[in-house]
Parts: sequence; structure tokens; C-alpha cells
Amino acid sequence: MIRTRRTAATLTACVLALLAGTASATTPPSGSAGAGDALAGLPGCDPAALDGAGGPVEITVWSSMKADLLNKTMEDLTNQFNASQTQVKVNYVNQGGYEDTIPKFLDADQRSRPDVVQLPEYMVRSIVDLNTAVPVGACMTAASFDTSAFIPSALAQYRVEGVQWSLPFNVSDPVLLYNKKLFAKAGLDPNIPPTTLDDVVADSKKLVDSGAATYGIAIDSNFDNGGGWFLEQWLAKLGQFYTDGDNGRTARATKATFATPEMATLLTQFQQMVADKTAVYVGDNNSGADHLLAMADKDHPAAMAISTSASIGSVLTILKGGQFPHITPDDVGVAPMPGPGAKGTLVGGASLWINDSGDPAKVAAAWKYLEYMTQAQTQATWAATTGYVAVRTDAQALEPLKTALTDPRFTVAGQQLLDIPAAPTSAGPVVGPLLEVRTAVAEGVAKILTGADVAATLQEMQDQATELITDYNDRNTAG
Amino acid sequence: MRRRWRDVPAAAALLAPSAALLGVFVVYPLARAILLGTRKCNVSGRVCKTVGWHQYVTVWRSAPFQNALGNTLRFVAMTVPIGLVLGVGLAVLADKQLRGIGVFRTIFSSTIASSVAVASLIWLVLLNPQIGLLSHLLKDAFPVVKKPGLLNDGGTAMWGVAISSIWAGLGLTFVIVTAALQSVPRELYESAFVDGAGAWRRFTNVTLPMLSPTLLFVAVVMTARAFQTYGEIDLLTGGGPNSAGRPTETIAYLIYGKSSKIRNDIGIQSATAVLLFVLLLVVSFIQFRVLERRVHYAE
Amino acid sequence: MPSDRPDDRPALDRSSPARTVGRYVLLVVVALIVLAPVWAILMQSLKSGPDSVRHPRSLLPVDLTWDTLRHAWRAGDLGRLSWNSLVMSVLVTAGVLVTSLTAAYAFAFLHFPLRRGLFAVFLATMLVPAEVTILINKRTIESLGWKNSMVGLVVPLLATGMGTFLLRQVFLQLPQELREAASLDGLGHAKFLWEVAAPLSRPTLAALGLLTFLTTWNQYLWPQSVVDDTAHRTLQIGIAHLDNGRVDNINLVTAGTVIAALPIAVMLIAFQRHLVRGLTAGAVKG
Repeated sequence: MIRTRRTAATLTACVLALLAGTASATTPPSGSAGAGDALAGLPGCDPAALDGAGGPVEITVWSSMKADLLNKTMEDLTNQFNASQTQVKVNYVNQGGYEDTIPKFLDADQRSRPDVVQLPEYMVRSIVDLNTAVPVGACMTAASFDTSAFIPSALAQYRVEGVQWSLPFNVSDPVLLYNKKLFAKAGLDPNIPPTTLDDVVADSKKLVDSGAATYGIAIDSNFDNGGGWFLEQWLAKLGQFYTDGDNGRTARATKATFATPEMATLLTQFQQMVADKTAVYVGDNNSGADHLLAMADKDHPAAMAISTSASIGSVLTILKGGQFPHITPDDVGVAPMPGPGAKGTLVGGASLWINDSGDPAKVAAAWKYLEYMTQAQTQATWAATTGYVAVRTDAQALEPLKTALTDPRFTVAGQQLLDIPAAPTSAGPVVGPLLEVRTAVAEGVAKILTGADVAATLQEMQDQATELITDYNDRNTAG
Repeated sequence: MRRRWRDVPAAAALLAPSAALLGVFVVYPLARAILLGTRKCNVSGRVCKTVGWHQYVTVWRSAPFQNALGNTLRFVAMTVPIGLVLGVGLAVLADKQLRGIGVFRTIFSSTIASSVAVASLIWLVLLNPQIGLLSHLLKDAFPVVKKPGLLNDGGTAMWGVAISSIWAGLGLTFVIVTAALQSVPRELYESAFVDGAGAWRRFTNVTLPMLSPTLLFVAVVMTARAFQTYGEIDLLTGGGPNSAGRPTETIAYLIYGKSSKIRNDIGIQSATAVLLFVLLLVVSFIQFRVLERRVHYAE
Repeated sequence: MPSDRPDDRPALDRSSPARTVGRYVLLVVVALIVLAPVWAILMQSLKSGPDSVRHPRSLLPVDLTWDTLRHAWRAGDLGRLSWNSLVMSVLVTAGVLVTSLTAAYAFAFLHFPLRRGLFAVFLATMLVPAEVTILINKRTIESLGWKNSMVGLVVPLLATGMGTFLLRQVFLQLPQELREAASLDGLGHAKFLWEVAAPLSRPTLAALGLLTFLTTWNQYLWPQSVVDDTAHRTLQIGIAHLDNGRVDNINLVTAGTVIAALPIAVMLIAFQRHLVRGLTAGAVKG
């Protein structure tokens, strides 16, 4: 039944748009009376302040797109924004990756922070606690911004206690990459990739036993990949909370709750696969590409790997380059993230934040930039070039995205995001030290994958996470 | 007594620039860091509450610090003796008036030209099991570079980092020891020679004693550097592999590292940094005390 | 071991031909080992495209091209970044030489209260790890309004305990009578420093200057901490930015490292004598 849903990946853009319409109809639009109350006492936003400013308002934007292609595309779009109007001039500065931008932004004096900053999904609580961000919800209300075309879950990811804090710009989701050629060689149907972990185990065994591949799947323990991010995803698919306070969405989280029996089962499955060599464990994956390279290994290939959808574009480009002649772009299949449970995944990627510089004109200028970066045409270009999912469904009808989506592999992540239910467990955890928690979790996952006792290690991970959360709350809440 | 005070205006004028700069950018930060180490601060690092001096004890006893301390000491024990022996060996080897010796000296000192970043990138390209050239070319000859590879194996990861560090430091050690060798009076060798001392005895009885002040100096500098190792870790292992419980997380990496859990907590960061300073102070003091007794000063 | 016997050949040319050959062989082998990583990187940066990685051919000097170096230079805007690094390194080197000279002079030739204590403090500053100071210094620079400026990059690095220590060692070895004679001639402190003491310590100055230049050129953590615009980035940061996460672009990174290390290597070859001589005059004699 779920397997036939795979063919949904081939559905065209108009169907996606239809689904988006029904999804947004059930979600109250942002900027309603309720949101206005939540915004009370927070820095305000007056888009009209731009008209009062004499001459163009100059603002600085820090981007965190490390990959060449992503950075260039974002810079190009920013330049187009500068050329498209005369009121705002954006000074675009790429700071490297997320890990480069985060400490720079946190450490900086409020006046040397940029007007707009691009930060990953795990930073939401910390930035809210800085007390220096202008919630974009304030701008949305003031500008009567229409969010009906946005993917609801993408917006929800950046909403805490009713306040829309930032605007999603680059949205991604984990997906399964698999080698169709090896699947066929093993006697598996290359058009039916695994959807559950049991499928992954069974298919891996077939792949290895038939000699088609050395390993079924490559797994890693990078905090932003298999070691941390994926666990949050699987928990959401299971319909379970990562922390109390409904993942910190309705009340500040005080303790981690991810050490569930189902999580233990899942980790045991992976541990077992590594032990019986149907999976290859590629380590901490500091390069962020080691799990993909394991798929491209000439002598000892793995047939599958789970990766962020944002990597699909780069993977296909590299394969086109011919560095790995034994695997062509057409061999690569993309499928939804396999896992337990029937619920959806969580939204990944990053959003754009407006920093409160104290100058209403700059805040208004920043908002104008955000509006441009999330408008349908901008997102169509962005998503088509990079492989990210467009944050709004109406972008799918526009070129160049329309053409790009004719390759079904680029529609998988978008569909997966639209499938995210409105359940509270389907909004990812907002925890102050989520980066630190993920780091602690990744250490535990690494130990489990190399043979440590699952139950004890999982409990240890949860205790450490709770300790980190308690310490963070102690430092960041008054009294 | 008059003389004691007569120079004060001139001394003040001459010392003012250095004293002011060192005061503002070394002494003041140290004092601030010592104070910050007693505090707990929020995510911006600017809203703090005082915890007290026992935060230093807490940090010292914490598992991550103890792990990092052990790793740092291990790293020092790996890199300093080997680096010193190799540096002296190279210098002695090249301390001969041979044709073309200048070329060899330039080669041996060439690693000075590489920064920590450059050296680490070089070794990353060589050692990384996925892209590494050495791993790829030598994997049949040396099983150790096979997957998971030097850097992904808890038992060997620190050696991978150490190799990069030793290589990068070799140039400077070589240059300093060469300089010291050239200042050893040739007559000392002559007389040892006349006494019938062999090459090894000449080395132990003349060269080593004459080199000892330099070796002390180099050892202290190398130890101080090794204690502060950060860049190599950042680029090569990120403190991992995690499966082995962060066997390459040094104290400096614990303070600044991308995957450090205290990175956005300036109070704990400061306390850790101050502990590193105290450690360095103690170790340098011991080195001077212990080694000074064995060092032969020429003058 | 017959060659160990004293003979009547000149002192420095005593070894037998066999031993000389042996030494040469050893020298060559060691030189190859030291150079091997450099060679690998050089070859990488002279190869085009993705096929340079993971291929035995990538270590052989075939199909060389300047494209990768050129691409790295342009993609990373390394020209402007090199200029920043150069300006920063020159300013810091000049500053360190001046502050070290004046401070060392005061400690070596002048008498004033607390001299020993103050000198001990200068020495102790050598032991304060950068990890301690950078945390606070970046805030100091920020509150001075010097973030994203050459001033902010340079000023905190302008004085070092090491420089003062090295030059004081040299000054102490100058005959005390020299200072007294100068004093009789009516030569003031400033004149004596610039006209007598500084020229006499030229080798050490050269060595100190060279080492300061090297360390400044290779600074990473400090520029990374006080620069967050593109205009003031230094070369080392630029190289880090070349690593854009693409496996097939690793040779771009190696090209960047070659570009960064090249000027230093050239300097080293040109000034190596001074380095050795300067260190001989200074630190070596405890």
C-alpha cells in the first residue's frame, strides 16, 4: 500500500499544487488576530518606513551557503534584487557554512550583527533567546503578506508559541538515494525502493547475498545527518516527541524524551546491519559526503544512502562530470526517507532572520529583501538550480523549476514535505542547545553503530541531552 | 640610588608601547577570562550571573575536560620527543660542509612555509580514506591505511594528527638546531677527536651538551605549541572519531571546536582556557626546573 | 672504523668518500620524505578537473595545467586576499620590530624600579594561549569600533614577549663599555638605539622579522574572529572558503594552499641564512 505511494513521486506539478491548496486551507493563515497577541512586546516592523528614507537603504546579509553552486545562486538572486528596485541595496557576505556563521553571529555585538542572517533550523530557540530578532510575523501582519502558497510545514518549523520568527528560504528533507543498477543486478525492482526499515534490512541482505553490492546501505554519524538529524526525523515519523513542551513548541523544553523503545529498536536494527556487514558505517563523516562516496566506491559500493535532498543536485552534477565512470546520473534513484511509522518527516534547511538594528528603515529594507527571496519566481530559480525544495508551491508552475521537476527525482522531497501532517509531533524540536544536543546524540549513535549496548547508550544520550537543556535554560532564562 | 631613578623617564617612554599593547591585549584578557570563568552566561555571552570559583573545579572534573586533558598530554608525548629527535637528527645530518648542502637545508626547513591550515589540508588530502591519495595508493601495501583509515580509527586517529603536526613543526626545529650547531666551537670536536672519541661519543659528549640550552628552548616552545593544538584537529578529525569517545579532542579544540558542546558557553569556555594556561605555566616551570639542572650552558 | 682516526686532512673534510656518499644517500632519502607531501599537493594543483583525485596518475607530472591555480586565484579572489595578508604581515612585522627594540633596550640598558618584575611579566605573556586572549580581544576590538578593519587586525599583534626576550639577549651580549662610551660622546638613548644597538643586532632583527612575518601570514583564528566582511579577509580564510564541500574540487583547495605557501617558501629560500645567523646570535646562548 505504501509502496504504491512511490509512484506518487512521479506526479506532476499541478497535482502538487492541488495538494498544497488543500493543505493550506486547513491551516489558519499567519497574521491572524491570535498571532498579533503573541507579537505584543516584541520588536515591531513597519514596511512603510522604507518610503520615508531618503535614498537607498543599505543592509548587510550574511549567508551560510558553503557549497559553491548554492552560494553563487543566492548571490545572483541578491544581485537581481538590487537591480530590481532602488530603495534597498544589499551587501551580500557569505560566511562559509552554518557552523561558521553561528558563532560569528552569536558572539557579535548587536550593532555589528548583519540586518539579515541565514541560519539553520536547529538554531530557532537560541536566536529567539537572543532577544534581538524582529519576528517576521510582525512584518507579515503589517504588510498583509499572503502565505497561502507556502508549504505549511516549512512555515511552521520557524513558528514558536504562535510567533512566526523567520522566513524559510532553503528547505530540504532527508531522502533515500539508491543505485538502480545494483538493485536490478540483485534481482530487486529498481522502481520499488524500500520504504520501511524492515525493507531496508531485507533489500540490503539481497543486495549483499547476490553479490550485486558489497553493502546494502551506507550510514554515518554526522550530527547534521545520520548521527542527529535523522533521529529527529524518525521520531517524528513514529509520532513521538523529542522533548517535553510538545518539542518545545508550546512551552520551553526542559528534558529530552527520545529514548523510546521504538528508537531503541531502530538503532538496534542499524547496529545489527553494521555487525553483519549488510551496512557500512562510514564514521563521523566530517566532510558531509562520506556516505555518498561510499555509494560511488568502485570496488566496494553501497547501494543506498540517506541524505539531505539538497545534495541531489550536487550528486548528479558530479556524476555527470565522469569522475566515477562506473555510476551514471541515470543510475541514481531518489525515494522518500525510509523509516518506521506512517507519519511524515520534519522540515530541514535554513531560514532568513531579520535582526533588530533599531533602525525601522533597515528593518523594512530587510523585509523587502525577504519578500523578494521567497517570492514564487525567485524560489523557482533557486530550487531549480540547487535542488532545494521551493518554499511555495506556486513556484512549481514557473520556469525553470517547471522543467526541472519533470525529473521525478526532484519532486520526492517536495512531496514528502507536503505530506507532513499537522500533528504536534511533526513540528521539529525547538531546543536552545539543539546543536549541542545533536552533537551528544551523534557521539552516542557512533558508539551504538560500532557495537555499544543500545539501551544503556540511548539512555545516556537522553540524560546528556537533558543535562544540556537544563544548563542552557539556567543560563538563558531570568531568575 | 640616583642611578636607579635617573632612567625612569626614558624607560617609561621606551616601554610604553609594548607594555600598553601587552597589557590591553594579553594581561587584560587573561584577567577578564579568569573572572568570566566564574560565571554562567547566556547565549549572547553578555548576560551573566556569578557562579563562583568552584566552577573551575567543576570544569576540571567534568568528563569532557578530563578526556581532553588526557588527549592533550598524549599528543604532547607523541609529538614533542619525536619532533625533537627528528629535528636534531636532520640538523646533525645536514651539518657538514658538503657540496649542495644548502639545497638540503632549504628542503629540511621548507615546512616552515606551511601554516597549520596548509599542513593539515595536505595531510587530509593524503590520509582521508575516501579521497586520500596515500590511502588509495598504499592500501594494499599497508593495511593500516585501509578503511576505515588512519583518521577514522580510534586507535590511530591521534597518530594521523601527530604526523601532520610533526611534519609541520620539523622545519622550525631544524632551523633553530642548525643555528645552534653552527655556534658550537669546532675546537671542541678537534680535542674530542684527538682523545679518540668516536662519532657517537662526540655527539653525546660534545654536541648534546653544547646544544642543551637550545634543546631546552625548543622543547619548551614545542610543548607550548602542542598544548594549544587546534587547527590540525579541526581539519583532520573534528575531535573524533566519536565511536571511540572523542579520542582527538584536545583542550584547545574543546574550547573552540565546531563539534564542541561548550562552544556557545563563554563562561565554561573561559574557565577551560584559563585551566589550559595554568597547565602550561606549570609544565613550563617544571621543564625549566628539571631540564635546567641537566643543561650545560656555554657561558 | 679507520676514518675515525685523527689524520692530517683539514678539519671539515675528514670523512672518507664512502661515508660522504652514505651521507648523501641519507640526505636525499630524507629530503624526499620531507618533500613528498609537498610534491603530492603541487601535482594536485597542477592537474585539471576531477580525475586528479584517487588516481595513481595524479602523482605523476603528466598533463600539467595552470587552469586549477588560475581558477582558485579567481574563484577565491586570492589577489585581494593576498594583498590584505601582505599589508597585515608587513605592518605587524614592522610594529613588532620597533616595540621589541625599544622594550628590549629598556630592559638591557636602563635602570628602573621593578625592572626584573616587569620583565618576568613580559616573559609570562609568551605562555598565555591564544585561546584565552582571542575570546576577549575580539570584544575589545568590537567595542573600539575596529571590527572589519586593518587596525583591528594588526594592533593586538604589535607587541610580543618573545621579540623583547630575543633582542634583550642580544643587547646583553653587547659590551657594556659601548653604552658608556656613547654616553660620554653625548649620544642619547634614542640615537644609541638606532645608530649603534639596532645595527649591531641586525641578524637577530632579521630572524625575528622573518618569523613574525611567517606567523602573521599564517594567522587564521584571529582574522577569522575580527573580520566578517569580504573586504578584509586574509588569504588563510580565503583558502578555507575554497573548500566548498565538493569532493571533485579538492584540487582547488590544494591550489589555494600552494598559492598561500609560495611567497613564504620563496622568502625562506632567500633569507634562510639570516634566519640561522639571527637565531645563533639570540636565543641560543641562554
